[in-house]
Amino acid sequence: MKKRFFASISLAAWLVLVATGLAQQGHPLTGTWIGDWGPPNSTQRTHLTFVLMWDGDKVSGTINPGPDAIHLPSVALDVTTWTIKIDADAKDKSGATVHISAEGKIENLGSPHRTIAGTWRQGTTNGDFKITRD
Amino acid sequence: MIKVATILALCLAVATLHAQSPATSTYDRERKVKLEGPVTRLEWVNPRAFVFLDVRDAAGTVTNWAVEIGNPLDLEKDGWKGSTLRLGDVVTIEGIPARGQKRQAAATSVVVKTTGRRVFTPAARKAAPAAAPAPRWPNGHVRLGPAPGKKGYWGNASAVALVEDSTGKVPTNDEGLLTNLSDADRVAPFKPWAKAVYEFRQRTLLVDDPIRACVPPGGPRQFLTPHGFQFIEQPELGRILVLLGGGDRNWRVIHTDGRPQGTAAELVLSYFGNSIGKWEGDTLIVDSIGFNERFWFSNGGLPHTESLHLVERFTRTDMNTLKYEVTVDDPRTYTRPWKSSWTIQWVPDEEIQEYFCEENAESTFIR
Repeated sequence: MKKRFFASISLAAWLVLVATGLAQQGHPLTGTWIGDWGPPNSTQRTHLTFVLMWDGDKVSGTINPGPDAIHLPSVALDVTTWTIKIDADAKDKSGATVHISAEGKIENLGSPHRTIAGTWRQGTTNGDFKITRD
Repeated sequence: MIKVATILALCLAVATLHAQSPATSTYDRERKVKLEGPVTRLEWVNPRAFVFLDVRDAAGTVTNWAVEIGNPLDLEKDGWKGSTLRLGDVVTIEGIPARGQKRQAAATSVVVKTTGRRVFTPAARKAAPAAAPAPRWPNGHVRLGPAPGKKGYWGNASAVALVEDSTGKVPTNDEGLLTNLSDADRVAPFKPWAKAVYEFRQRTLLVDDPIRACVPPGGPRQFLTPHGFQFIEQPELGRILVLLGGGDRNWRVIHTDGRPQGTAAELVLSYFGNSIGKWEGDTLIVDSIGFNERFWFSNGGLPHTESLHLVERFTRTDMNTLKYEVTVDDPRTYTRPWKSSWTIQWVPDEEIQEYFCEENAESTFIR
């Protein structure tokens, strides 16, 4: 029992350290973001993983890295409002191109686990999305 | 008795007890508080010691207040002894209250009521040490440490934060908070995102500063951190160690064995980067890359990326003065390379004292 309690406390302390002490402090978009999108108020959500990188000129990256990766040539960031715009082309099950456009706002900018939430349109489907920096 | 008075135009230069002043993000420097009551507890922890006292208000209700009295090392230097305050001593404390409704304050004066004795008063600073030439090794190189048989370390810097040299003096408080946020453009040649991040950190009073979580003060910030530092020169090993007295007693290696600098892509990124040093006359020039993005490299919240490249120049101009100059080159964050410099004073005949950053230590004893 004592061991379990100690382990729980240690894990909590480690999580706090990770959350506060080891945060990425560079460009606010750089890093891995995890979340989902779907129609409003729907429980049918689609997983999203974003990997973003600032190269000094633009932010680019990948949605869902791996065999079904979607290349993100650029992510527009307005630093006066901390809003972003994304345009990318994905493939549906038939291999046809489906355009994705999304707009969102960075919340909790100072937090290591800041979020981006906003609207998501994929093909003819409108929805919302939320991703949290890992 | 509790008296809390709002002083609308109180200037930010409130006289604090000690060099390591209370954090603006924790305390509201535009208000004052006066407290009186018996001491119930003392907590002697880094980075700040606390006195607790029971305070009775006009209705007779007693509440327990936590009052920050300064950094333990500074207190000791200013004459603290175990008998300075005893449990039960009735004290009158003037200070700055915490933001919000917390029963917490930072003291600007503490007086023992029965004797009228003022405690925690900074001791008179020692006179500047006598001028002398920089000590040298037998081979003629300037020594970065004490002369043989002597003690000492590098102490206070003449600056509190990095500011581009060519823009002149930019007023800040001792945490690097700008007096006028509109001066941000004078601090460094920011790219737009970096300026926006810097201004965000300034507007939020540096509350997200990683150093509060005991993250190492990498980059030039190591030379702006309280409690000083010292160089350990090891020419036989081809290296110079920089030992910090503050932070978490971190240490940094400067390689002087002639190895070439690597490339950032090959390095394991770290808080102090990969440092390669060489001497040019009496100046040690250190080239560093390979920094991670987990720290702020200056007080005040300057951002950087993994592209950060620093060239530091250390010149001991005499026994008591170290001139420090750094060129910051981070093309993902700043529009061009820029320089900042300051001097650091020698603390003679003393050694760095034990100090360990204790993350959020007060949360363990303040309700």
